[in-house]
Amino acid sequence: MRMNDAVTGCVFVLLSALILFAARGFPTLPDQPYGPGTFPTIIAAVMLVGGLSLIWSGARSRAPLLVVADWMRGSATLHRMVWVPGFVIAYIYLSKPIGFPILVPVLLGAFLTVTTGRPVRAATIAVLGTAALWLLFAYILRVPLPLGLLTEVIY
Amino acid sequence: MDAVLTAFGEVLQPQVFLIIVAASAYGLMIGSIPGLTATMGTALLVPITFFLDPIPAIGAIVASTTMAIFAGDIPGALLRIPGTPASAAYTDESYRMREKGQVELALGVNMLCSTIGGLVGVAVLILAAPQIAAVSLGFSSYEYFWLALLGLSCAIFVSSSSPVKGVLSLCLGLMLSTIGIDVVMGVKRFTFGDTELIGGVSIIPVLIGMFAITEILRKVARPSRLPAPPPVRLGAMISGVGSTIWRFKGGVARSSLLGSVIGALPGAGADIAAWIAYALSKKFSRTPEKFGTGYPEGIVSASSANNAALSGAYVPSLVFGIPGDTITAILIGVLLMKGITPGPMVFVMDTGLVNAIFAVFIIANLLMLPLGLAAVYGSRRLLSIPQDILFPIILLFCVIGAFAANNTLFDVWVMLVVGLIAFILEENDFPLAPMILALILGQLVEENFMKSIIKADGQLTEFFARPIGGTLGVLTLVIWVLLIGISLYRATRSRRAETIGE
Repeated sequence: MRMNDAVTGCVFVLLSALILFAARGFPTLPDQPYGPGTFPTIIAAVMLVGGLSLIWSGARSRAPLLVVADWMRGSATLHRMVWVPGFVIAYIYLSKPIGFPILVPVLLGAFLTVTTGRPVRAATIAVLGTAALWLLFAYILRVPLPLGLLTEVIY
Repeated sequence: MDAVLTAFGEVLQPQVFLIIVAASAYGLMIGSIPGLTATMGTALLVPITFFLDPIPAIGAIVASTTMAIFAGDIPGALLRIPGTPASAAYTDESYRMREKGQVELALGVNMLCSTIGGLVGVAVLILAAPQIAAVSLGFSSYEYFWLALLGLSCAIFVSSSSPVKGVLSLCLGLMLSTIGIDVVMGVKRFTFGDTELIGGVSIIPVLIGMFAITEILRKVARPSRLPAPPPVRLGAMISGVGSTIWRFKGGVARSSLLGSVIGALPGAGADIAAWIAYALSKKFSRTPEKFGTGYPEGIVSASSANNAALSGAYVPSLVFGIPGDTITAILIGVLLMKGITPGPMVFVMDTGLVNAIFAVFIIANLLMLPLGLAAVYGSRRLLSIPQDILFPIILLFCVIGAFAANNTLFDVWVMLVVGLIAFILEENDFPLAPMILALILGQLVEENFMKSIIKADGQLTEFFARPIGGTLGVLTLVIWVLLIGISLYRATRSRRAETIGE
């Protein structure tokens, strides 16, 4: 996913403008021009110059606005890649209500089916993998992984 | 002498030693599976080190990275695929040796040279670090400000992509470090009204996002099947290795020292050290025409240099708290979480910890010999793990790891967002090393800058008034002039190329 430098440059210019604006609202030390805003202002200024120079070089290069790399083409590839943020977001929203021991084997099994194309093997590995990580984090390291629906069953 | 024995005693306690051995096995696995880099392995290890005491935590990181840098040579020689970027410089050379039926010799040389390079690097660390620390006890905020800025500038200077992109990556890292309560007045900055952000962005999810999520995205998109590795005879890995290395002893010594120095430069790590050592050994060789035909001289130099760089990177990290590479950037993050601020005072107050780090390095490098043999023996099995099974499981590990540090799902969001942004940045040739160094150093830079400018009452000349501070300042400015010069030169050259093309 290669963007023209001018596009990324614009993002940086916009970001630096926002920081410069926000930094103006910070208080300063009594009788001094400096304060919490000084450092962000300097960085934003550097960022602004860098962003402008990217826009300048990107505009002159006349490269296309967006080139999708060969290896990222194809709906199957895109499908697999979308699974990565999908997996994480599903975990964030569902782990508390449903619980780690129920949600994760299903989620991991589905993801493994997508990547390997072999559902039975995927399910087996998902169950074993979940058990291993549960053992490591919940038992050995005492991380409170959410039990969700199982809370009432156990307690 | 007593202190040294105490340090070894502490590290060789059964529990600590067991952690080091387990971390070594983990490092050998990470290194020998292509696509898993030493930096990513360290980032994944951090959630676990969070639950350990400082010495085993550092021991785990040191041992796993030492092993990973060597283990990267294994798939390089067997399959012509470097296991970590640090082995890329001589992958072709060792594969040529395989074609000549010398794969065991190549691996044996890799292993012994990695150990030698690593030990030379530790020696440099042990000799140099306390001396530099003693000098730097007199540093004030001016020196620290310049030193940190010099480190960050070096990181841009050595990164291969365009300096402008390096600077922008650096700015992003510095901005990330300003989120939360500010160091001067305790004002909330850039928290967007979110209570989770008041304490600042936590380092663990950022690290996992930057170094693991990016790699998972790439590997899931492009699953690759590795060819079957050839059988390896362990006996042949030992015979002939000693005489080969003795033949090129000068190269080993030179490359080990060179590697330690390159490692100590902020931003330049094991991979750059290996490339430079390989190129230099070709230049100094009596038979440069043999390079590229399966000749061990280049391998000997480069594989000593990359392990030496690993130890060299700890010099600035321990002495100034300025990381020498991405791995030590993570290590500093871990130390800060444990309430240890790396700096010259560590050498005065925490000599036990410093000696223990030295001891861990020595033990890890010696452990590499037996464990390395075992790893080569088991490499056929390791390399047959299908990547399409591995990466979904690593993703689950990342999610739990990001959650585990503070037990909050907010950190999982941080990991995901940082990972996606870092992926896009890398696709567009932005180097990530300046960003992570800047995130770790941000507070140090800002704190010392604000202290200095308030002391100097806004007089910028004060920044150059002290001898060491002034020298460091001038050095930094020289690097910036060079950086701007390079950018302008590149711009005019590309314009000239364009006019010729038209």
